[in-house]
Amino acid sequence: MTIPGTGRYRIGVDIGGTFTDGTLVDSATGQVTTSKVLSTPADPATGFIAAVKKLLQSESSIAPGDLEHVVHATTVATNSIIEGKLAKTAFITTEGFRDMLEIARQIRPSLYDLQFVKPPPLVPRQLCFEVSERLDAKGQVVTPLDEQSVAQVVERIAESKVEAVAVCLLHSYRNPDHERRVGEALRARLPGVIISLSSDVVPEFREYLRASTTVINAAVSPIVSRYLKSISEKLEDAGVTAELLVMQSSGGVYPAEAAVRSPVFMVESGPAAGAVAAAALGSSLGYPNVLSFDMGGTTAKVSLIRNGQPNVTKDYSVGGAAQRGTGAFGGASGYPIRTPVVDLVEIGAGGGSIAWVDSGGALRVGPHSAGADPGPVCYGLGGTEPTITDANLVLGRLDPDYFAGGEMPLDVEAAQAAIRVRCADPLGLSVEKAAYGIVEIANTAMVNALRLVSVQRGHDPRDFMLVGFGGAGPAHAVRLAEQAGIPRVLIPVGPGTASALGLLVTDVRMEGSATLIVRSDEVELSRIAAEFKRLETAGRESHKIAASASGDPVFERSVEMRYWGQSFELSVPAPDLPDIDARWMSELVEAFNDAHETAYGFRANGEPVELVNLRLTTVGKIARPQMKKLETTGTDASVAVKGQRDVYFAEDVENSGHEGMVQTSVYDRARLPAGAVFRGPAIIEEPDSTTVIHPSWTVKVDDYGNLVLQR
Amino acid sequence: MTTAAIDPIKFEVIRNALTQAAEEMAIALRRSAYSTNVKTRQDFSCAFFDKDLRSVSQAFTQPVHLGSFVRHVPIAVERYGPENLDPGDMILSNDPYGGGVHLNDISLIAPVHWQGELVGYTACLAHHVDVGGGAPASVGAFREVFQEGIIIPPIKLVARGKIDDDLFRLVLAQIRSKRETTGDFRAQIASNRTGALRIVEIIDRYGIDEFYRYIDQIIEYTDRRTRAEVAKLPKGVFEAKGFVDNDGFTDGVVTLAVKITIDDDGVRFDTTGSDPQRRAPVNSTYAQTFSACAYALRALMDRDLPVNDGFYRYVHVNAPEGTVTNCVHPAPVVGGWETHVRLNDLIFEALAPALPDAVCAGTKAMQCHAGFGGENPETGEYYCFLETLAGGYGARSTSDGPDAVQCHGQNTENAPVEETERNYPVRIARYELIPDSEGPGEFRGGLGLRRDYMFPEEATFTVLADRDKAGPHGLFGGEPGSTSVYALIKNQGDGKHEERLSSKTTVQMQPGDVISYRTSGGGGYGSAFARDPQHVLADVLQGKLSVERARSRYGVEIDMAAYAVDRSATLELRRGK
Repeated sequence: MTIPGTGRYRIGVDIGGTFTDGTLVDSATGQVTTSKVLSTPADPATGFIAAVKKLLQSESSIAPGDLEHVVHATTVATNSIIEGKLAKTAFITTEGFRDMLEIARQIRPSLYDLQFVKPPPLVPRQLCFEVSERLDAKGQVVTPLDEQSVAQVVERIAESKVEAVAVCLLHSYRNPDHERRVGEALRARLPGVIISLSSDVVPEFREYLRASTTVINAAVSPIVSRYLKSISEKLEDAGVTAELLVMQSSGGVYPAEAAVRSPVFMVESGPAAGAVAAAALGSSLGYPNVLSFDMGGTTAKVSLIRNGQPNVTKDYSVGGAAQRGTGAFGGASGYPIRTPVVDLVEIGAGGGSIAWVDSGGALRVGPHSAGADPGPVCYGLGGTEPTITDANLVLGRLDPDYFAGGEMPLDVEAAQAAIRVRCADPLGLSVEKAAYGIVEIANTAMVNALRLVSVQRGHDPRDFMLVGFGGAGPAHAVRLAEQAGIPRVLIPVGPGTASALGLLVTDVRMEGSATLIVRSDEVELSRIAAEFKRLETAGRESHKIAASASGDPVFERSVEMRYWGQSFELSVPAPDLPDIDARWMSELVEAFNDAHETAYGFRANGEPVELVNLRLTTVGKIARPQMKKLETTGTDASVAVKGQRDVYFAEDVENSGHEGMVQTSVYDRARLPAGAVFRGPAIIEEPDSTTVIHPSWTVKVDDYGNLVLQR
Repeated sequence: MTTAAIDPIKFEVIRNALTQAAEEMAIALRRSAYSTNVKTRQDFSCAFFDKDLRSVSQAFTQPVHLGSFVRHVPIAVERYGPENLDPGDMILSNDPYGGGVHLNDISLIAPVHWQGELVGYTACLAHHVDVGGGAPASVGAFREVFQEGIIIPPIKLVARGKIDDDLFRLVLAQIRSKRETTGDFRAQIASNRTGALRIVEIIDRYGIDEFYRYIDQIIEYTDRRTRAEVAKLPKGVFEAKGFVDNDGFTDGVVTLAVKITIDDDGVRFDTTGSDPQRRAPVNSTYAQTFSACAYALRALMDRDLPVNDGFYRYVHVNAPEGTVTNCVHPAPVVGGWETHVRLNDLIFEALAPALPDAVCAGTKAMQCHAGFGGENPETGEYYCFLETLAGGYGARSTSDGPDAVQCHGQNTENAPVEETERNYPVRIARYELIPDSEGPGEFRGGLGLRRDYMFPEEATFTVLADRDKAGPHGLFGGEPGSTSVYALIKNQGDGKHEERLSSKTTVQMQPGDVISYRTSGGGGYGSAFARDPQHVLADVLQGKLSVERARSRYGVEIDMAAYAVDRSATLELRRGK
């Protein structure tokens, strides 16, 4: 049992592939303390509690009881899917459709590969069962549920000793009665076994997508449950009784109790935190529309935030190879889930991505990564293939003696030699030009990712601010902005751990949805009102378990719509009117026409519009911590200059006359006063990151120490 | 222009941007389309061509289209006359005898202008669910192309950004599923517009001269890499013969022959020896045969190789005119893709001795169309539905053939049962794998699948498929996969009566009638008696293979009480084999 904390402190913990980041915020003063410990993949809870303890120890005045809550982002669910370490799970469906998971979408994950393999189904065929029953598309009973066939299946499942059962019967999104009866029979016979019904998890049509989501929910549930239990115990041992909240894929948090019941909503918990952090930062500084750019050691993630909210999608596959993010062509290599996921594109471009020359003589970067071991050549840990980090070092953008705050000296000559042998010589380029090329090509891939989340969704990147963070983000952000035509860049305080801060600036969100699938000119308006009412009641109920949320919940209503005959819906906010009447409907349809025109370039006025799903999100507001202002102010940045060095800039020869190695001032970020203004080229260093300011950009340090960069 | 003058960085940037433009076209098309065939099954393709009509970049959707598209688009544009194209125009075409394929595959081609200058073309092809003709969904066995639907020579559907309403009404008047078709055409227009915007952005950024120069370089780059890949292929002459099971009117097989010559000059495909064209739907146009050869060659190369003119120029095809591999007017063509996909299997069969680790055994190697339509009693609209079904994939030298997937140039998704039943008056009664349908082998072929369609109301149903006489071939001692079955099941009061259907036929369905497809399994690779008994056991435990078949075809005795291989009995069974 968790009780609301009495104190004023909050902790966020984000577990990454290499490091576990902790952030502690003092709600009263805005003081932020961070901790970084090595991740412990064998038992992530060990790293988790180490990060928490380190935070508590760093501020001697804090007692564990002073904590209000602990928010956690975890990849435990994703990893269990990718590594095939799911709980033993059975699947029940309608007679005649046992192979739904096995057949999946009947497509191959790659077009020209004769040696391809299909991803194995998450439930093996011997654990897939059929019951005799059938509904039609209106939810009417064609074949009544045969209780005897249910009893037989339940008995066989009991013999097979599973930890979880997923049930997905045809058309249950329309009429859940048969599924519920199967669920009751399972619960009666199999106490302690997790039962997930598709009509509870995602009551939406298209059986394979619903089944896949339900199976993942069931199969990760025992794992998530054990993991969160272990974390709760460790927190209790440490004297922490504050509520444990978990980050969802959608960017909201929910109580650990809800996470155990609906773990499929937290599958992409980790990446969502970064987007939320960017959204919160942007909003607090008066920039509600931002592009979030989070670049670490192996990947870069970009997402779009509008009106302070990350864009959320439901076209998503978990564990897909060559993930193109959430586009319609996610392909057949992963497992689809139909829960809201922050719409982000993740690409294999991180500091460790390897540069190479292909058989046609083109310079390429990634998708292979040197990772942390052996890592880039310059680490001197045995790496032989040049990486983006090596290129940045050769270009003078990184300081060999101040990497990780000087804890890890970098070998410039080894990086140069590797780039010469692998890239420069084969292409007939100088080492600097080749290094520059490596960075530019990686930037291009990231610009494409930015375009996918912006232009392709109908948003002009020029209307946004780019927020660059993650260890490698600040070195690339300005150049990306130039290429994508983005006029402003924000580099937050502590960019290396900014993601963990995102955990502390979001609300409790509980998703609810109902499928309608009815034309706007045929729907009974009272039915819409009744469904929203029902979702609201359920939302209020779920809100009660979230101790940290203050006051009454707020409800966000939206409708997923399409032209009658289309297959892909656009989500439209429900009109903010007191009654659901003819005016409400006409405003809704008009909003849909607008959204469709924005997304696809045309509107079909007068064509029937279909209302597919009603969504209601119950939001329990959590007060935001105040940010802390810098203590020193002054316009003169020169106090922070720690030296000069040669840095390579080439991209805007015409504009600035700069090309090649340019003598550049290096600033110590910690010494920059609020209000300082200076022009690029410049390098700004801090222990966990380096910001590269290209010529013709101006830096302004805001009151809180964020860097606001403008052309 | 020498390579040295090229900035490798700008090169990679422009190359990615051009690919991205085609991908964005595909996303716009899919998400705004109306028919299940386009929006869900992804039966479409998108590409960008330069001003000289060379293929530059493609979206990775359906390789069958992409291979034929590169022939159709240049011919359509040349026939219409590029000089007759203004900014904002789009031309429509599906003429099989104008470089096209079957009539359902309609291309929409848009010139791209930059500052008034023609700089290239965006083009998208969508398989329309109906184009008129003798049966709903425009699939069926007919004698002449005229019976197969509306033939559209290159015509200007969109003039300076505005649809020609008269023309559009004329086209729609021929078509059963007017609402869906209207939506799909609109999606094609949106797709081309999206592509053009992206291309213009690229030119704005780099300038027109650089744009042209780098397109040349992208094609030359692909050429260099393709040449290097071709040089790695084994030299020699490789041949195979096979057949399409029947032509839809006569029961005799349609013979296909292919000869592949690989020497210092490259790779040449020759279909001499294939049967004369039929007055039946199995004829492939030259574009379709070219597409089969292009797919086969591409599948033997580095997976990372771009596909554009620099690759296609290495695909040399001699298909004698007047044969089923290069038919002449007015032969019907709707089933030409069946011939095309069999050619694919034959090419891999021919190359197997030389490339044993690169190829796969026989796949389902048919498109396997299921088309139906009629009046929807709820809406009063004429509806049409089309889908193609998966089958078993062929085994490879180190792995089993996957179960129930599309093969070769075809990679269309299945239609979700719930979506299908919501939109059309049909009930899918079964959709499942067929145990024991695999071609046995050390590595087994994939399982075929069964899909049963029950009609509560009258409807017209067309089977346009193949493989009911011989299953997909095995390799190196592997055995063929099962043959397909197409059956009509009538409930006649005294129980169910099942009647076998031809693989190419149109049937009038009475309320309650069921059509059952059971598609072929994939061919096996290597001797089944060499298969690891544990793999046999795993298949038996999963219910994919029966105990009897494990014993008789693999020489493996399974002890079902112990869930284990009976080793001594297995040794006994395998002795002397």
